[in-house]
Amino acid sequence: MTEKIGVYICHCGSNIAGTVDVAEVSRWAAEELQSRGVVIARDYKFMCSSLGQELIEKDIKEQGLTRVVVASCSPHLHEPTFRNACARAGLNPYLFEMANIREQDSWVTEDKLEATKKAKALIAAAVGRVAHQQPLNSLFVPIDPKVLIVGGGIAGIQAALEIANSGQKVYLVEREPSIGGHMAQFDKTFPTLDCSACILTPKMFDVGNHKNITLMTWSEVEKIEGYIGNFTVTIRKRARYIDQSLCTGCGVCWEKCPKKVVDDVFEASMAKRKAVYTPFPQAVPKFPVIDRENCTFFIKGTCKACQKFCPTGAINFEQQDEIITVKVGNIILATGFDLFDPRRIPQYGYGRLPNVYTSLEFERLSNAAGPTGGKIVLRDGVTVPKSVAIAHCVGSRDKNYNGYCSAICCMQSLKFAHLVHEKTGAEVYNCYIDIRTPAKGYDEFYQRLLEEGTHFIRGKIAEITNAPRTPEEEGKLVVQVEDTLIGKQRRVPVDMVILSCGLEPRHDYKEVARKFGLSCSADGWLIERHPKLDPVATMTDGVFIAGACQGPKDIPASVAQGAAAAARVLSIIGQGEIEIEAATAIVDETTCVGCTQCVSSCPYQAIEFLTDKKKAHVNEALCKGCGTCVGTCLPKSISLKHFTDEQIVSEMIGAMRVMKSFETVEVA
Amino acid sequence: MATKPTFSNEVANLLHAAEGNPLETCIQCGTCSGSCPVAKYMDQTPRRIIAMINAGLKEDVLKTNTFWYCASCYQCTVRCPSGIDIAEAMYALKRYTMWKNQYKEGLIGPTFSETFVKTIVRSGRSYEPLLAPTYIFSYGIREFFNEALNATNLMIKGRIPIIPPRIKRLENFRRMIAHIIPLGGIE
Amino acid sequence: MKQYLYFPGCSLEKIALSYHLSALETTQKLGVQLKELDDWNCCGATTYFHVDELLAYTLTARNLAMAEKEGSVVVAPCSACYKNMYFTNVHLHEDPDLADHINEALQEDNLSYSGKVTVKHLLEVFSHDIGTEEIKSKVIYPLTGLKVAAYYGCQILRPRKDHENVEQPQFFEELMAASGATPVEFPLKMTCCGGSLLITSRPAAYSMIHNLLYNAQLAQADVIATACPLCQVNLECYQQQINQEFGTKFSIPVVYFTQLIGLSMGIPPKKLGFGKEFLSPKKAIDAIKAVHTQEEVIAQ
Repeated sequence: MTEKIGVYICHCGSNIAGTVDVAEVSRWAAEELQSRGVVIARDYKFMCSSLGQELIEKDIKEQGLTRVVVASCSPHLHEPTFRNACARAGLNPYLFEMANIREQDSWVTEDKLEATKKAKALIAAAVGRVAHQQPLNSLFVPIDPKVLIVGGGIAGIQAALEIANSGQKVYLVEREPSIGGHMAQFDKTFPTLDCSACILTPKMFDVGNHKNITLMTWSEVEKIEGYIGNFTVTIRKRARYIDQSLCTGCGVCWEKCPKKVVDDVFEASMAKRKAVYTPFPQAVPKFPVIDRENCTFFIKGTCKACQKFCPTGAINFEQQDEIITVKVGNIILATGFDLFDPRRIPQYGYGRLPNVYTSLEFERLSNAAGPTGGKIVLRDGVTVPKSVAIAHCVGSRDKNYNGYCSAICCMQSLKFAHLVHEKTGAEVYNCYIDIRTPAKGYDEFYQRLLEEGTHFIRGKIAEITNAPRTPEEEGKLVVQVEDTLIGKQRRVPVDMVILSCGLEPRHDYKEVARKFGLSCSADGWLIERHPKLDPVATMTDGVFIAGACQGPKDIPASVAQGAAAAARVLSIIGQGEIEIEAATAIVDETTCVGCTQCVSSCPYQAIEFLTDKKKAHVNEALCKGCGTCVGTCLPKSISLKHFTDEQIVSEMIGAMRVMKSFETVEVA
Repeated sequence: MATKPTFSNEVANLLHAAEGNPLETCIQCGTCSGSCPVAKYMDQTPRRIIAMINAGLKEDVLKTNTFWYCASCYQCTVRCPSGIDIAEAMYALKRYTMWKNQYKEGLIGPTFSETFVKTIVRSGRSYEPLLAPTYIFSYGIREFFNEALNATNLMIKGRIPIIPPRIKRLENFRRMIAHIIPLGGIE
Repeated sequence: MKQYLYFPGCSLEKIALSYHLSALETTQKLGVQLKELDDWNCCGATTYFHVDELLAYTLTARNLAMAEKEGSVVVAPCSACYKNMYFTNVHLHEDPDLADHINEALQEDNLSYSGKVTVKHLLEVFSHDIGTEEIKSKVIYPLTGLKVAAYYGCQILRPRKDHENVEQPQFFEELMAASGATPVEFPLKMTCCGGSLLITSRPAAYSMIHNLLYNAQLAQADVIATACPLCQVNLECYQQQINQEFGTKFSIPVVYFTQLIGLSMGIPPKKLGFGKEFLSPKKAIDAIKAVHTQEEVIAQ
């Protein structure tokens, strides 16, 4: 049966019509492609407009068209538009094809004759293809309304609360013994100078007490299988060696524990904790954990002081890790960042010169619950510094380390300057390249610091040294920097230097990305679906990202992204089911030999091997229609719906026939 | 029609091995000038020189002593966050001023460099005594006597060559140089 | 016997003769033969590059081409020679057009370079090729208690060749420790000595040398060990003038690392070129004499 094909050529204003002779192409299509099934060809100024679409719908109904070709812009823009127009008129949307005569023709060809020729060839290709296209129907899969959130920092907490408050169930998985993330370590937050713990802990308690949130701390996701609406997640709940049903959080165990360990996570190695511990007093959940690598019982078999003194008998050394499997419909990753290690910049002296601090170390120093009770003193624990230098851009904006800007360090450096002024009255020198204060209240904060008498030196610190040049410099830390605004090199003797270290992706970002089926940028940040218009979704349906794991950002932006990801998830849950694109691969079981080449070549792990039938089977919900399996299949049993060999070859022949006919004309 | 190169282009052309150097990517952070051990003796810091090159201020750049004071220690180059080879750029500017014979008055560098290269072309090896006149009178009476004393001490310890050394295949050597710099060479 | 080609450089003939002598003596005792490159020409130091880049590369390429004829590794004791040869080699590898152009000129001396030579610094040969274990095994009179400021200088480490540690290397200190000496904390160990600025901008050079001596003094160094003739001359021969200029009282001997290693291996001091310095390290080394009952270390 010959098809009845309608061809519609868009002028796109002068974008196409300015280069391609659209009237001629329309005439040519109606005449020359008649033998290929074209019954009508029209050209119109803007096919995507409602009038343009109505043209198509009218012709389908009145002319009984069985196929439609629109020659206009890129399918990225308007394929859904025209498919919907066909659907409205009762034609299966997969019986439609677009010929891109704008991005692939009029926008890239200067010669008008060439452009017109090419347009004809492209349309002939589309006509050839569309004749072989088959009606297809989208798949609809139901959505499990439960949500998994990985990472209990501020972004994860926000997302969890949003979703839980709407009535849906949330599993919140956190690697550390308590939620709170980096925000729990800070002293004050910019620009309001709110106490970080004071604004964070209410949210933490809400999470801990929420009936819809299952909080799993000291846990990690081990495996994820499935697809949007239907994920199966395996979580390892590490053994705390504490029976949570008995523990009251009284704290006797860690009081009595004799083993002290340097706390290199929460206290940034500035203080010690015990082998049984909670990371900080307001920890949620309140239950401690036993660090078996440092616990005397696990190492030598002796002690057990915690068990002896526990009033409720909650210590259980026999406890094992628990492997839990949950089913969720959507996942939000909010795993946060790691700090740049300034030991990679030896000329800054961190680790070699005692009074050089990282940003997190200084946060702990200044925090009233920190190792010095909030007093800003040098490493000797006693001396109050009289002059402090703060280095911006440590490890950021630098081809030798990380080329990107870490977004928060300028504000953080200003905050540090304020805290030093307030607590010590010392002279403060901020050494910067630019002052980046873009958000609300930020530049006003900078103005405030200027008024407080901070010395701003525009210059990136070249070196921090204890090698004096004059007797006056002996015994001091000297910051050597060019004050670029006056064009002179300065050596500023100070007592303390704070390095505003840049933010880096978590050290295990590659593993995490692979586990969740996500991509990372070259720097290691998780990649969003669209940098401008879709910052929380990813290319994997059902998996969202929020907070610093997507890129360096401050607390308001993390909170906003957490809430945004929650909103996206709730909208999917609200739809109840999700439409999967119909252009998926399909296995012809009669010819499949069971070699499993396709199974291993699929980048989305969408093909499974049915052991009983010994055939491959495509999970349509996971399949993205990339065609890799089609290429690897030797007996050619797998084909890609909407991209069959027949369709693609007809497309090629359609174009080549036209190009060849032009050649013979010219030779003659 | 050939267009006149900008000063920025001219400098880039003189940086053959450094492949033109991405001077335009300088973010003016000041790490180079902050690291430079000689910065305080320069009219303009190295960072300023790069800004001036990017701004096309040729005459102003050529008037400075900055690049002739560069000790070529490369501390700036290894630390530059934009990957610019500042020390090489200083060499390029030295070559530019030698080529144009246009540099700040009173600088010893240019005459010294010229004399040094002439010595090599003449014999294939350097010979300190020939170089002395280029600088020995430039630092005042006290330094002249100091230097003379030093030279005498070195001579007593057998550390100054008396006879200027020569390489054996000097004729070939000279022809090789003429091949590279055809227009009369440096003779 | 491992053999390397040896490029002494102009300074080692006279002004740094002690470096040359001690280099040959120590390498021989450690099983390495240094064969001097025949008819080598001046490497050009920094000065050629002030005049013409292409000329500078050609003159260094001549040495590389001659080295290629005789062997595959050439060792330079002077940091400036090392830097020039190393990077000329790199550029000839990376830029075939440059290599062609220069090879054309080299034909005038019947030479051609095809890039098969590796360039090493003498210090590298000691610390990486020979290794501290081998050196320790040959030490007879460990320089115990001698406080040495190991001064790398600048052009041995910079420009960066790969991703090595250019800010806090330790290999020179480890070498000194192998000879029994005590390397001191010397934060300015890679800060430039001024090099040829001593000639072209003397006040600048003086201030740089002053900083180095000041810090060596603060570190309580008995001697400064160097690996480059320019550094040695700058640091040693102008201490009088520095003292005049800055009102200081420096008198720190500056020797070559090969001389110290040679002493620890029991090679007679005269053979190592001791006696040619302005500032004798006799006092410091005599202190060690007391420990070892050596013969008279230095004849003044």
